[in-house]
Amino acid sequence: MARKKQANGSSTPDGTPGVVATNHPRIDIMAATNGIEREVIKVNNANLTELKNACDDAVKTLLSRKELFSTIHTHTDIRLGLGWAGVFVAFGTAFYGYKVEFEKSKPIVWAGVILYGILTVTQALYAYFVERDTVYVGKRKTLAKRIETERISVSSRTVPAKREDPPRYSLSVSYVRSANSGKSLLGRGKGTDQRGYNEFFDEEGALDQEVFDRWVAGVVENVMEEK
Amino acid sequence: MFEEELKTLRRLGFRYALLQALNFASVIASGLMMWKGLGLLTNTESPIVVVLSGSMEPAFYRGDLLFLTNPTSEPYRTGDITVYKIPGADIPIVHRVIETHEAVSKDRVSASPVSKQYLLTKGDNNYADDIELYQGLEWLERKHIVGKVRGFLPYVGYVTIAMNDFPQLKYALLGGLGLMALIQRE
Repeated sequence: MARKKQANGSSTPDGTPGVVATNHPRIDIMAATNGIEREVIKVNNANLTELKNACDDAVKTLLSRKELFSTIHTHTDIRLGLGWAGVFVAFGTAFYGYKVEFEKSKPIVWAGVILYGILTVTQALYAYFVERDTVYVGKRKTLAKRIETERISVSSRTVPAKREDPPRYSLSVSYVRSANSGKSLLGRGKGTDQRGYNEFFDEEGALDQEVFDRWVAGVVENVMEEK
Repeated sequence: MFEEELKTLRRLGFRYALLQALNFASVIASGLMMWKGLGLLTNTESPIVVVLSGSMEPAFYRGDLLFLTNPTSEPYRTGDITVYKIPGADIPIVHRVIETHEAVSKDRVSASPVSKQYLLTKGDNNYADDIELYQGLEWLERKHIVGKVRGFLPYVGYVTIAMNDFPQLKYALLGGLGLMALIQRE
C-alpha cells in the first residue's frame, strides 16, 4: 500500500531511477494491527444506529493504537465536563429545594434551574456546531528531517438506504501536517469514501474486522499521501 | 446478557464508562430540573399531585392527577378547590374553600389583602368541614396553601399510588430505566 513519491524529475540518463525523496514518514496502518487478537463484534443488523456505532468504535480502536495516533480527547472531555457539571447543579438544586422551605428556596432554585439550562444548551450547541459528525481526532509526531506533527480528524455518517441501495457508511478524513509546533504548514488533505454496511457485516451481524480495517486504512493513508 | 456490553466497556475504556453513566445521570437530572422549573413557574412546591382519598367525589376520585398553581396576586374565592398542608402533618389535602375572610389591617400600606386571607375548607363528600383536620388552627392562611386546582387527569395517578403501596415496583421501574440508559447508546 505504501507508494513512494518522485520528488524531482527523477530518472538519470542511463535509466536507473534517481533519488527518491520521501517527503514525509510513511504510515502503515495494517501493520499495526497484525497479531492482535480481536473479539468478534456482533450487533443487531437491522438497527442502523448500532451498525454505525460499531463501525465508529472499530475506527477508534484501529487508529488509537500506540504506534499510530494518540487520541485527542477534547470533544469527549468537553461533553463530559459540561454534562457532569449540569448533573451536579441539578442534584444540588434539587437537594437544596428539598431541604429548605419553598418560599425561601426560590431564588437559589431559580439560579440552579437557569444555570442547568445554560449548561445543557451550551452542550447541545457545542455538539451541533463544533463537534458535528466527528468520530476520532488524533495526532502523531514523527521525526523526518524535523519534528513533524500530523493531525487527523475522522468523521462519519450514515447514508440512508434507497430503493436498490443498501444503507452506507460514509467516512471522511481530514489531515494536516505541520512543523515547528504548528507554525509552518507542510500539507493538508481531505478525503471521503462510502461503502454499504453490507460489505462489513454478515447475516448474523458480525463485523468483519479485516475488511473494515483494510478499507479504513486505505482511506486514511490515501488522504495522508496527498499534498 | 451483559457480555456484549462489558466487552465494549473494556474495549473502549474509562471515558466511555463515564459517558454512559452521564447518559443515565442526565436523564434523572433533567427530570428533576423540569419538576423544579415547573414548580417555580406555577409558584407552588408541588405543581402536580395525586388524589389519595374519596373526600372530593364526585368531582375527583382517588387516583386522579391534579394540576396546581399558586397565584400571588389573586385572592382565593369560595368555590376554589385548594390543596393545603397543615404544619405537622405530611399529607396534602384537597378540599374546597367554603368561607373566606380578609383581615382588616390598620397599616394599609404594608399588608396586602391577598396575603392576609383566612380560609375554611370542606371536602365535597364529607359531612363536616375541616376544622378537625386543622390541628388547633381556626382558619387556614395562605401560607398553608400549596395551590389551587386548575385542571385534572383521571386515573393517571394510580401509577403513583401503586408505587407507594408497593415500593418494589418503584425500585424495579427505576432499575429498569437505569439499565436501559446504561446499555443503549445514542
